[in-house]
Amino acid sequence: MDIPIVEAYIGEYASGKSENAVNRALWLKNQGRKVTLADLDIVEPFYTLRPIKKKLEEMGIEVMAWESRKTMGLGETGNIIKPELRWVLKRPGDLILDVGYGVEGAKTLNLVHGAYDNPYLKIYAVINVSRPMTSTVPDIVEYIKYLGRVDGIINNTHLGDETDIEVIQNGAKIVNEASQELKIPVIFTSVEKHHQDILGNRDCAGNPVFYIQRFMSETFW
Amino acid sequence: MSIQPQMPKSWCLETKPHKFCPGCGHPMLLKALGEVIDEFEIADKVVFGCDIGCSLLAWDFFNVDTIQTHHGRTTPVIVGIKRADEEVIGIAYMGDGGGYAIGSQHLVNAAARNDKVFVLLANNTQYGMTGGQMAPTTLPGQKTETSPYGRDVEATGPPFQGPEMVTAISQEGAYVARATVANPRQLKKIIKRAVENVKEGRGFSFVEVLSLCPTNWRTNAEQTWKFVEDDMAKYFKIGELKVPGESKEG
Amino acid sequence: MAAKPIEGEKKVFVTGNEATAWAALAAGADIMYGYPITPQNEIMHYWTRLAPKHGKKFLQTEDEISAGFTCLGGVFSGKKAFTATAGPGNTLMQEPMSMAEMMRVPAVFVICQRGGPSTATVIYSQQETTLTCFGGNGEGLRIVYSTESHQELFDYTIKAFNTAWKYRFPTFVLGDGYQSKMRESLVMYDPEARGIEMVKPEPIVRKPGIPGVDRKPIHLRNTYNMEDELYDAVMDIVNDFKKMSPEVVEYATFDCEDADVLILAHGVVSRAAQGAVKQLREEGLKVGHFRPITLRPFPQEELKKYAKKAKNILVVESAYGQFDKMVKENIYGVSTPIKQYFRPGEGITVEEVVQEAKELI
Repeated sequence: MDIPIVEAYIGEYASGKSENAVNRALWLKNQGRKVTLADLDIVEPFYTLRPIKKKLEEMGIEVMAWESRKTMGLGETGNIIKPELRWVLKRPGDLILDVGYGVEGAKTLNLVHGAYDNPYLKIYAVINVSRPMTSTVPDIVEYIKYLGRVDGIINNTHLGDETDIEVIQNGAKIVNEASQELKIPVIFTSVEKHHQDILGNRDCAGNPVFYIQRFMSETFW
Repeated sequence: MSIQPQMPKSWCLETKPHKFCPGCGHPMLLKALGEVIDEFEIADKVVFGCDIGCSLLAWDFFNVDTIQTHHGRTTPVIVGIKRADEEVIGIAYMGDGGGYAIGSQHLVNAAARNDKVFVLLANNTQYGMTGGQMAPTTLPGQKTETSPYGRDVEATGPPFQGPEMVTAISQEGAYVARATVANPRQLKKIIKRAVENVKEGRGFSFVEVLSLCPTNWRTNAEQTWKFVEDDMAKYFKIGELKVPGESKEG
Repeated sequence: MAAKPIEGEKKVFVTGNEATAWAALAAGADIMYGYPITPQNEIMHYWTRLAPKHGKKFLQTEDEISAGFTCLGGVFSGKKAFTATAGPGNTLMQEPMSMAEMMRVPAVFVICQRGGPSTATVIYSQQETTLTCFGGNGEGLRIVYSTESHQELFDYTIKAFNTAWKYRFPTFVLGDGYQSKMRESLVMYDPEARGIEMVKPEPIVRKPGIPGVDRKPIHLRNTYNMEDELYDAVMDIVNDFKKMSPEVVEYATFDCEDADVLILAHGVVSRAAQGAVKQLREEGLKVGHFRPITLRPFPQEELKKYAKKAKNILVVESAYGQFDKMVKENIYGVSTPIKQYFRPGEGITVEEVVQEAKELI
């Protein structure tokens, strides 16, 4: 069997971790691979994978997440972890971990048994230059250093509906500069599908472009 | 052949498996409490109150009548019940935020009045349910969502010493102790003495239990136990602080 | 701290709570007091991350009663202070808010409405409208801005500090859980760079000079002995409130001039109403929408004008009649029939508003 792909997406609040995790999982599934997507969002119960669990499962991905309705305590909360998540690395096939934000950065992976010892694990920091805390090279460098272990950077720079080619390319430039300073590679640049005609296969910094479809807008609650 | 551990009878089967996170300290606490309720056969006399926070996941946990209240208001609700109906064995369950921050005035006054209720508090050094904010018992230097650079003791004070405070203001007949989920036998013994104290109508019972929250501590199993057994134990002394009939010394 | 938190202008992608935290920074707020409660927690999370970098302060209190009173304390000392809360926290904060009303304390309160009553849901509602406008044991002598977007959360949080300090009324930014958590693009700016005059705070106690020697001591109270004293005190505030109203009141109109059906909504529900008006007008139907932006003071005269002209009024809110009551009180005397669409605790879509409005045509 070939090498399993195990990726953890971490990063700043609302940087696009879940959106990238979902799209990556779908891409892998479309290559004919078996994929599990794990919801490790433990700070706030909004914009998690829960509301699209069924939809994604119908598309052929296994999703490890609570269903919102089943988590009592939502009255104040909702960020409890599903027990199966602890042992999710024992599952066969690929694993994409959507790691929610939080002051401890990548340390959330401690909750998955054997994560740090896993030889295939790659921890990717998702960066959106339009987010005020990660909008300059020094800010991004400081932020990524503070996250702990980071194996790669995913450039997810966008301005929501106001994204245009300038925003995308500017983001690529800034993230690339940060990447060189940190000596951590940029894995890809994520761009919404409908920009495909204005941007080719690579951004201005030479990073491969990964075209994504928006799923997370349906997941408000 | 392996023997399955028995679920306490006072645990409600229909609501299991419970919703607490893997590695959470609450179910360990609630197991000790459940066994004590079984041993005393008081399921029909207990009214169990839970607070807002992870303690509220215990609202349908027991085969015991339960009321989920407001944040920090579990103590007064249980006190209110006890005052109106003397037969009730009132148990108020809460976290360190509910007990020592928003609920602290109620804790102080219940202790001062020697209300014959049992307040059981799970201390995991932060506000778990809301995403891990700083709490009165957060350790110095500990990072939380509202102390992102580590708790600054100069600015926010040291970790709250709850049982010590309650001991200082409690009356004769009160039982005050601090236990830890790292020592389950002692935990059960202490909970049993606390329940018996209110069952016999001697006075107020207060037990703080050092509990676990790997989810918000972001720790694996080994680190979790280290945190509660080494780090927390540095600031929170385990043992009985006040026992009815014994003098204040020791 | 020489550098400003935001220089010039920049376009960013943020959540509502962050927009609020950044706006408070841009407005020159000195200190935030708060207590954890969903859905406003990120205001605190971001403030505590940003505060040390900009020389600002923070205190997490033991509960919301304390958060409110400590906030008043911060304001008394002459600093721009604010706090944020929701749901049961808002209920608790009414006590300090009442004191702010009586003592004319220019504190800023951000409210992120969640389900009610009691703990309800952490998600969303417009069920704190009455509480935010008229809570506590007073006459609602407060200024309340009901926002609908991240740009407004940013703009009105800055405005709230200016309005509060200029007119000396406790001032509220009334948002909700949806606005707090949604992600939108926003233009953040330095208000002074845009020519917005930033009102400077000043100490309310400990003004310069030795009390009794250089100046009279400042003796503040919120209690009176006799009925007539109280009457005079309250009427003073009422008269100031009336004087302030025309300068502060804000509203927005969408195709109201010839509207047969007038849709009334506030806050984020206004977005659905605006979408409905657009759609129905494209179908050739005469529908309009009046949106109060300040709920206190309420744009009474302006609404009355359009309400009289319309053939039917449709009130839409994510609560059970809280906004409806305000509308009725303000358009008393207008005989246009009113239909209600109440969805306590639930979001309202453009489709729903279109359907309800169509039934009135």
